[in-house]
Amino acid sequence: MRCDLSDRVALVTGAAGAIGSAIAKRLSDNGAAVVVADIDKEGAERVAAGLRNAMACALDIRDGQSVDAAIARVCDRYGRLDILVNNAGVNTLAHRVTIDEFPPEEWDRITGIDLDGLYIMSRAALAPMLAAGKGGRIVNIASVVGLAAMRLQSPFVAAKAAIVHLTRSMAIELGAKGILTNAIAPGSVLTALTAKLFYGDDGKFAGRTQEFLAHVPLGRPAQPEEIAEAVLFLASPAASYINGQVLAVDGGWTAGYMM
Amino acid sequence: MEIDLAGAVIALDGETNSIVDAVTAALRANGGHIVEGAPTPATDILLVSCPLRPGTKTGDPRSLYADARKAAVAMTERGGRIVFLISAIAGMPMRRHPRFSMENASILAGMRALAMEFGPKILVNAVGFGVVEDDAIVSGDRAMLSHTPVGRAGSVEEAVAAVLFFCDPLNSYTTGQMLGVDGGWAAGYGRNF
Repeated sequence: MRCDLSDRVALVTGAAGAIGSAIAKRLSDNGAAVVVADIDKEGAERVAAGLRNAMACALDIRDGQSVDAAIARVCDRYGRLDILVNNAGVNTLAHRVTIDEFPPEEWDRITGIDLDGLYIMSRAALAPMLAAGKGGRIVNIASVVGLAAMRLQSPFVAAKAAIVHLTRSMAIELGAKGILTNAIAPGSVLTALTAKLFYGDDGKFAGRTQEFLAHVPLGRPAQPEEIAEAVLFLASPAASYINGQVLAVDGGWTAGYMM
Repeated sequence: MEIDLAGAVIALDGETNSIVDAVTAALRANGGHIVEGAPTPATDILLVSCPLRPGTKTGDPRSLYADARKAAVAMTERGGRIVFLISAIAGMPMRRHPRFSMENASILAGMRALAMEFGPKILVNAVGFGVVEDDAIVSGDRAMLSHTPVGRAGSVEEAVAAVLFFCDPLNSYTTGQMLGVDGGWAAGYGRNF
């Protein structure tokens, strides 16, 4: 789709990564000024350099002071913030174990970024949106595992399920103020992490990739750009009556059981 | 919003209303070619338009499913899209509309089953409308507004946008989903507590 975001400022967290950078590019290609936010400063700068009107912004979404300072920089540069895409998130690669064996420090790291970080980031970003009184958009990147539980990644599952419901809570709290909140729940996406798990020749579960993909009607993982397309729609002026939705962009994985 | 349909052949099954009229106009404006009659192997996109106001007869969801499945079989060789236009009540039943709730939930389940059966060749999705009005209510029940966080009915133009989204060739990994266009009606208790 094409739309006109030329008077909008969007902030994308985790924007140095595969999905985040694709989202930043789609928003930028449709005219938005984009804040490329990531804990990886060099990565953010690299992505921002490839966009038409963008600023790199190093921030740690677990740290309220870091986030507040970032929002202040955005307001200094652009004077407004219209769209927040809460994309930053992590999962575990090393600890693919059941909950009884799951290390507490790894639980805290994952839920601290994926859930607490989303709250900290949203709280800070809402300040200029509410102050301006012109409404806004928040798009949370959840996951299909927040809709249908999976094994061996319990903190990620718990955090993403929390994001799904937090999205609805935000929608009913903020809707009357013109701020629409929705979520995308991506299925399996072809990234560096999933290559290490499934899609690379030496992936941890490489031998089981076809078995896994048999559960997905489209029979393949998503490209990051396909996730970005859905984010663009929810951020666009056209989606002005969509609020509190959790749209799975998952190739049909959660449509039902493939049996 | 603009999408590039590049001459896609579009068929319509079901009732006409002001949303459907606006959808077909928008699809034409974005390069689609609307054809009369039943879907054929040349059809790229099928719109299945279901009654959107409680109290109107939805018809038998089983025969609606059977017709959509027949179309999907015809479309499979070329691949394509099927988009159901249904009520958001499909995912959130209302006490005052038990039959309409059941009928829409049934259509939603059939939509998902079609997505699983005909993937990856055909993407099948639904738009679930809340209260939409122009001069009169086109979709839903005005009582829904008491739980709608944005505090207003949707416009026909807002209804059309979600249909275009599911027809967009660039939206290529979404199937088996219902996207609500309801201002947050189904998100939770949007009333006063």
